[in-house]
Amino acid sequence: MDGANIPLDEHRIVEKPYYLAQGSEVEIACAAYRSGLPLLLKGPTGCGKTRFMQYLAWKLDRPLITVSCHDDLSTSDLVGRYLIRAGEAVWMDGPLTLAVRAGAICYLDEVVEARKDTTVVIHPLADDRRELPIEKRGELLIAPPEFMLAVSYNPGYQSVLKDLKPSTRQRFVALSFNYPELEQEVDIVCQEGGLERDLALSLVKLAVMTRNLKDSGLPEGASTRLLIQAGKLIGDGVDIQTACRVAVVEPLSDDPEMLAAVEDMVGSIF
Amino acid sequence: MNFPDLNKQFYHLVAPDIPNDWEVEELLEPYLDQSDEVCQEVFKCIPAIWPISSSLCCDFLRIMPETLKILPLSQLSTWVGEILDRYELDGLRAAQRLMRNVESGYMNRSNAGLVLLGEVEGRLLTFIRGVAGRDLFIAPGNAVFTDTETIFLPPELAVFSASADNVLLYKLILAFQWAYIANGSFTLPDPVTQEPLVDSESSLWLNTFFASFSQPLFARDCYFFLETVRAARFLEQELPGLMRAWAKLPCFVLPGVEDKNISPQAAFLSDLQLRFLNGSLLEASREEPLPLLKDYWHRLLGEGVNGMDTVAAVKAICAAHAPHEAEGEEYEGITPLLFQGEIRLSAVEAVHRQRFLRQGEELVHSLALHLASLPKEQLEQLLRSEEEKENGATGLESDVTMIMDSEFAGTAAEPQAPLLITINNEEVRLGEEVAEQVRQFHDEFGHLPGRFLSSAVGRAGKGLAPDAHPGPEQGEELQAPICYDEWDHRRKGFRKNWCMVTIKELPDLRSGFIRQTLGKYHGVVNRLRHQFEMMRTSDRFARRQRDGDDIDLDALVESLADGRAGLPSSDRLFIKLLRDERDIAVVFLIDMSNSTAGWVGNAIKESLVLMTEALEVLGDRYAIYGFSGMRRTRCELFRIKEFGEPYGERVRERIGAISPMEYTRMGPAIRHATSLLAKTDARVRLLITLSDGKPEDYDDYKGEYAIEDTRHALLEAKMAGIHPFCITIDHQAHDYMDHLYGPVNYIFVNDVRKLPMRMPEIYRVLTT
Ligand SMILES: Nc1ncnc2c1ncn2[C@@H]1O[C@H](COP(=O)(O)OP(=O)(O)OP(=O)(O)O)[C@@H](O)[C@H]1O
Ligand SMILES: [Mg+2]
Repeated sequence: MDGANIPLDEHRIVEKPYYLAQGSEVEIACAAYRSGLPLLLKGPTGCGKTRFMQYLAWKLDRPLITVSCHDDLSTSDLVGRYLIRAGEAVWMDGPLTLAVRAGAICYLDEVVEARKDTTVVIHPLADDRRELPIEKRGELLIAPPEFMLAVSYNPGYQSVLKDLKPSTRQRFVALSFNYPELEQEVDIVCQEGGLERDLALSLVKLAVMTRNLKDSGLPEGASTRLLIQAGKLIGDGVDIQTACRVAVVEPLSDDPEMLAAVEDMVGSIF
Repeated sequence: MNFPDLNKQFYHLVAPDIPNDWEVEELLEPYLDQSDEVCQEVFKCIPAIWPISSSLCCDFLRIMPETLKILPLSQLSTWVGEILDRYELDGLRAAQRLMRNVESGYMNRSNAGLVLLGEVEGRLLTFIRGVAGRDLFIAPGNAVFTDTETIFLPPELAVFSASADNVLLYKLILAFQWAYIANGSFTLPDPVTQEPLVDSESSLWLNTFFASFSQPLFARDCYFFLETVRAARFLEQELPGLMRAWAKLPCFVLPGVEDKNISPQAAFLSDLQLRFLNGSLLEASREEPLPLLKDYWHRLLGEGVNGMDTVAAVKAICAAHAPHEAEGEEYEGITPLLFQGEIRLSAVEAVHRQRFLRQGEELVHSLALHLASLPKEQLEQLLRSEEEKENGATGLESDVTMIMDSEFAGTAAEPQAPLLITINNEEVRLGEEVAEQVRQFHDEFGHLPGRFLSSAVGRAGKGLAPDAHPGPEQGEELQAPICYDEWDHRRKGFRKNWCMVTIKELPDLRSGFIRQTLGKYHGVVNRLRHQFEMMRTSDRFARRQRDGDDIDLDALVESLADGRAGLPSSDRLFIKLLRDERDIAVVFLIDMSNSTAGWVGNAIKESLVLMTEALEVLGDRYAIYGFSGMRRTRCELFRIKEFGEPYGERVRERIGAISPMEYTRMGPAIRHATSLLAKTDARVRLLITLSDGKPEDYDDYKGEYAIEDTRHALLEAKMAGIHPFCITIDHQAHDYMDHLYGPVNYIFVNDVRKLPMRMPEIYRVLTT
């Protein structure tokens, strides 16, 4: 069957998502797509990985199927299973199979959360074979050129139990994401949070200050996402101090001393 | 009490000093009427005060009878403690003053909005580090000032009646001191040479600048005041919220200019200060009053000014305010504003010098190691030319020229590391890391002194001659020494059986350490136990089992469907509750080098106590070893707890007995821990190193060599399936850590007080 034409309308991104490139990641990803190579996105939380995938899917005009990985995710959850419908056994494709058939982009978010035995099903898809065996149906799907696999994870210091095996890692073209440069981040917060430039700049300054606390007990500072959320609250009439407290300070930590210090920063900036 | 008893007791307490008879008599007389209890309590304080200052102690005895009418006996020891603290900080006079003011100074202040630095230090430190984006330090001091690394703050503030306002004042002080650092107010470079120091090791250019005036003090105060205005301007942009809060504070008390006979210069500056505090300085100056500074203000409010503009303004002011010979009045200085503090160039210079020495020493080491790895003929040639230098008349230092990468590559955008240096016309090609070190040094200090090269050549010439060196007997040896190889990165090979590791028992030491720590962290320990218990019982439902506690509906439906579809249907239809075995073994390697003396060592021990409490609940297998030593022939590992040993009184005592010893040769310790872990059959094997800095030993185990050996030992561990992780307590992050452990396998804890709380947290994140 010629998969690339299955319509997956609900997975298509029709409107151009707002994405501000941080470097040459868009060009590299497009090149990887043309060469049939899978992508590995790494970076701290809320720095635009998901948004980048949406943008890429739109640019390449492919449907985007996202799977959030968790430790209970089984192979059948990805590949598919038989279901009973009206007394009949019906095969249901899993999201990965669906994406392969349709020549879509399959994005496995937080791939390290998945169990290791689950991650291995993507191995044959992620190397030059580009094939997906569906054991239950005795079927071997060959991915069309339009299909693309992408996975993401956050390499911040984390559990030794959750790391990608080298055999998994070494199949990907890896793109490293980080918080955007100051000016760019201000642009993003303006745009997405619907804020004035001055206010956005102050928010970004606050975020930079919290990101300086890596060695003082805050492994990850405030993300772009938190700033946008604070911006939205402010736009809805919440006063600035409160918005910063509930959207930036409190989500960061539970340590009272840390909270007090970050509150001090908020008070000093605004 | 009778006099002879009191007298005897007193002489006993102050021995071996023998104060005057008549003086003692005068001191003790008032106590004849006091109750025994009072005498005992007061006398108990003598051994604490006398050795520090006998005159303070006499004073203490003199005023005690009166003081005790106000001060409850139960608070006596706390009060004495504070007086001694004050003595340490500000000297005898201040301590005496505090002692005399027991009523206003001690008793009444609890309700006066008083904020103690100790109580808010953690919060302030985090605040300023976040704001500044660099590792500044905070310390109590007798004046407000900064040496550009540490900001000194008053040990307590009670300027305002609300404590929140006093905290704000602390933040304001911090912000201003940071602004001086960020604006480079104290390190203004010489306009001609562009170097902040007149000659790189000694004096700041600003000193020379101030000295060039007939009234250096006035010039300095003008400069500092204008820089403060500039700092305020900077802070309005960076921390507008803080500056607004400052404006709302109740009126600042100005140091007060009562003296009508002050010099015109002081009057001029005081007036400026006052107007600055009222916020009217910049506003008013828009219109007229200060024609002298008109241009400066204008630019300050507009595009901004820099330190050189301030220098020009100071010149203008000083010219206009030259002292009139006739009046004969000397400028006597003015009291600086509280948040402004003092300008202490000597402290800045000292910090600079220290950094210069420290980094210079590191550089010489790396260079020496690098030179020692050169071909023999080249090294000999270098040594010969060095010798000629010493004997000849061509100057004492080696001639150095650096040939930068950019001269080859042509792109000057990035700072480039030198590829080659020529020492006395001899070309030496540098390795990447040494080159980077040379570049950083050059960037910070402006030049690379030739004598560094001379001493590097000298050291390289002496070669690496390790020798046995018996050390002090510490602890009992438990088994025969074990030999480990050491990696020599210059030869890309092992030095076989190079290091001798002895396993030792820590000397027995009964101490209340564990009990105290458990008391201090009582709440934390309970919370940790709870947290770790949750980790232990990480129950998990296993689906698709042949038997189990419940039917797996998904599996059942699937199996039915498979059956209908003509496939063999599965019999794995049950859900089973599985207790996830945490199959983890971990070795903690504790740095016991002498640099851990004091705070650091204490924090490490406290962390171990909390960690073991948590681990006991968790049930992970663990062992703890301390390491230290001196030279390759005496690498010592102190057994604190081995695998399988129950956590009991002995282990606790050994944790209490951990104390700083000698050097940090990390490689052999890691290799031994690796061999211990390799013997366990745990699924996950962790090696956690707790250290306060670089690997380093007394001999040539330093710099690149030490780092490369340690790195290699870690690689060996990784190859054995072990996850190394390092917790470092250090002033600042060093680049070599990335190189040693890889970017995500270590963590910095830059506030040592937090370590005990952080460590179990780090372990929790690592293993879930
Ligand atoms: N470069 C960017 N261009 C446009 N928007 C961005 C960019 N970076 C971040 N954002 C904004 O930040 C928000 C968070 O980004 P996103 O959800 O993509 O983060 P993420 O990296 O996927 O985080 P996580 O790892 O937590 O899933 C987005 O909703 C988007 O508004
Ligand atoms: Mg995401």
